[in-house]
Amino acid sequence: MPFAAEHDVPIPYMQRTRDYYERLGFPPYRWAHFAAVPFTPLARPLAHTRLALITTAAPFQPGVGDQGPGARYNAAAKFYQVYSDSTETVPDVRISHVGYDRIHTTAEDPRTWFPLAALQALVKQGRLGALTPRFHGAPTNRSHRVTIETDAPELLRRCREDGAEAALLVPT
Amino acid sequence: MSLTARHLEANGLPTVIMGCAKDIVEYCGVPRFLFSDFPLGNSAGRPFDPDSQALTLELALRVLETAPAARTTVQSPLRWRDDAAWKLDFSNLDRMTPEQIAERRREFDEIKAIARAKRESGA
Repeated sequence: MPFAAEHDVPIPYMQRTRDYYERLGFPPYRWAHFAAVPFTPLARPLAHTRLALITTAAPFQPGVGDQGPGARYNAAAKFYQVYSDSTETVPDVRISHVGYDRIHTTAEDPRTWFPLAALQALVKQGRLGALTPRFHGAPTNRSHRVTIETDAPELLRRCREDGAEAALLVPT
Repeated sequence: MSLTARHLEANGLPTVIMGCAKDIVEYCGVPRFLFSDFPLGNSAGRPFDPDSQALTLELALRVLETAPAARTTVQSPLRWRDDAAWKLDFSNLDRMTPEQIAERRREFDEIKAIARAKRESGA
């Protein structure tokens, strides 16, 4: 069996972005980095667990420009505060406000970034105990401080309010 | 999102992340991570491929259930396509013309200006 191509590895996004920023003349970006990582075991089997879904997708907002498949990066569609919506239906949430791969994906199928329908199916099948009544939207700003001091505590508060026992986070 | 996972976990809520940016998530350090080696935008599976989406979610849930310790990463066995050449394109300046690079610079400034105005207006 021949070896795989040398470039057939997970994309080195940090190096790619460093080079990109440098050539464009922007200051270097510093990614969050920690030596210690917290860990909490699941308390009960998933079939008896209430799960919260957290997404970076944004609710569709009429009037702020193209948010459809293949739209160019749309900063006007960004949101800066945590939002929540019902998990009873599947709302229209988009990803035009983030830097997804616009060469190799067109953002036509929301199920590739927002697995709410698939989670609802697993609850019906009994694989998952329940979903919390709301999913939550996490802002994608570039300030670690705002994320750590404001958004993450607010998401925790909402998860607790909903009785979440675990959380699935789906960034884009 | 990695920072949020860490905060929830540190406060007693088990988490799992589904994502496509392996180096960034692992550099931050998260409890559990289901990595799909797909273009950004496809954390939950391939477009219009329900089997791929179901497998991706099932793998993430198994990681949530069975991870023995923090920094557990599982890589989905699914491939975006057989030819891995797509991985060379993302933000790769060596593959852009000077005109494209100049356009990217203008776009970046415009994005920052919109984001700043929106943040300051409290939206």
